[in-house]
Amino acid sequence: MSTAPEIHHLFHAPIPDHSFSADRSTLAVARDTNIELYHRTGKTFKLQDELRGHDKTITGVDIAPHSGRIVTCSQDRNAYVWEPSPTGEWKPTLVLLRINRAATGVRWCPNESKFAVGSGARIIAVCYFEEENDWWVSKHIKKPIRSTVTSVAWHPNSVLLAAGSTDGHARVFSSFVKGIDERPEPSVWGERLPFNTVCGEFLNPTAGWVHDVAFSPSGDALAFCAHDSSVTVVYPAGADQPPQAVISVSTQLLPFTSLLWSSETELVAAGYDCGVYRLSGDTSGWQLTGSLEEAKKERPGLEQREESALNMFRSMDLKGRSGGAATEDTKLKTVHQNSISTVRRYEEGGGKVARISTGGVDGRVVVWTL
Amino acid sequence: MAQINWRTINIDALDPDSSTNFDLSSLTPHIEAISTSEIQQVGGQIRQLLRGGNAEGALQAALENVPYGGDADGKAQHATVVSECLNSIRATEMSPLLSRLYSSQNGSELCDTLMKYLYKGMAQGAVSKPAAGGNSHGARNVSGAGGFTQAGGRNFGSSEAGGGMSVFLSWMEKLVEMVGPGSIVRVMSDRRTV
Repeated sequence: MSTAPEIHHLFHAPIPDHSFSADRSTLAVARDTNIELYHRTGKTFKLQDELRGHDKTITGVDIAPHSGRIVTCSQDRNAYVWEPSPTGEWKPTLVLLRINRAATGVRWCPNESKFAVGSGARIIAVCYFEEENDWWVSKHIKKPIRSTVTSVAWHPNSVLLAAGSTDGHARVFSSFVKGIDERPEPSVWGERLPFNTVCGEFLNPTAGWVHDVAFSPSGDALAFCAHDSSVTVVYPAGADQPPQAVISVSTQLLPFTSLLWSSETELVAAGYDCGVYRLSGDTSGWQLTGSLEEAKKERPGLEQREESALNMFRSMDLKGRSGGAATEDTKLKTVHQNSISTVRRYEEGGGKVARISTGGVDGRVVVWTL
Repeated sequence: MAQINWRTINIDALDPDSSTNFDLSSLTPHIEAISTSEIQQVGGQIRQLLRGGNAEGALQAALENVPYGGDADGKAQHATVVSECLNSIRATEMSPLLSRLYSSQNGSELCDTLMKYLYKGMAQGAVSKPAAGGNSHGARNVSGAGGFTQAGGRNFGSSEAGGGMSVFLSWMEKLVEMVGPGSIVRVMSDRRTV
């Protein structure tokens, strides 16, 4: 909390999604129809490469930690898997998702054998590599999704998949693919789980669009944030039983667009308020504990213009501002100057997340220390 | 063969995937249907509390028994009851009352419901004003643009809707101070309307 956040103002365009490589030296950022790869040189990131291939805005990018493969999905209904080659070139492989609407987000599963793509076609495409055809194949999860899938998140066992949708529900599916996956251990979500089983469907009473879902580090709890400015945490009890606890925290802030678990009892969320917030709790209750931003004190040395009557009236006439030089109201008090679109893990240690990275609509990627 | 005009077949109704066949009730948890007589009963009880001088209790009761399952008439009746409660509470008592409401159990949901009624009240004020202005014009039948604007101006000043609006606005100011923009977002995204 004492270290200041590391701000990287990359460009002046929105960043829908960003991802760091395993050693955190490469940053992949989605910029309109291309992916820009930035390499860390000293304290800043320099543009190293550009991945071109998509025709429309890229909505999701994810770098697999072990193999280094990058998967991207876009509004042109396609996804590409980019493999690094020894010469430094990236070789794209088209993945046939067979969807007829835009893809909204993509994530690799923890063991990197599959990835899931959410789409506006009310389908989640789970894609895996088929060795005999040397080709990425997709399987669809359709029922009972009633509207656009906004986000997908994997359970640590790489079989259970959570999806948030604009029909207000957060669902947990099984994406078990025979031949690729091993039979998972029985968990609180269920036991024998063929493909497309719904292990749980959760709804908020106010039922706003679900923006993001995330499994806890152990996989035994699910959190989702919705457009009704709330965060809901679900603790399931068993396969066919009602959940142990469903706790909904209504916040006074604007809605969150992205969240992640920093430990079993703490969540970090960010959204339209342009700031990062923490929530903590357990099965008995959750509450908002505070923001990661430090209260910006007035920087005395910087804007010391004369507070003369002439200047005050001049600024009132010119800019309609009655505060003179003291009020700096062209910038937001938060680090990000526009809403934050994604929060991702940056550094983990001892079961807890130590640092997180956020990317926003203002074109900044900021690394925070928790 | 029957002479069917193929172009008049409503293909959307027959397509199971189309948006016209989307069951909107699946988007919210189940809402119990409430009959208008039940709503009137609750309204009567709340008015009794008001007459007894317990405006705070009346408001709390009104916000707890929201007729989400009622029809348009029932909801309008309950909205009138809520605005009566709001009108009968003095400006100085508003802030302490709101903080007590917010800190009570289920407080944030009650405040969200209050916000919904404030918006509904303000929407009704906008509808009744032009209608009243139109009536006044018809009754006067004075020719000339000057006559019409005079009549309109006089009506706005004395109409009940104009007076009621300031009550809602002052409540809204105090409520937003306490619950922030999150509550307004919830009002807009919640499918259960009052």
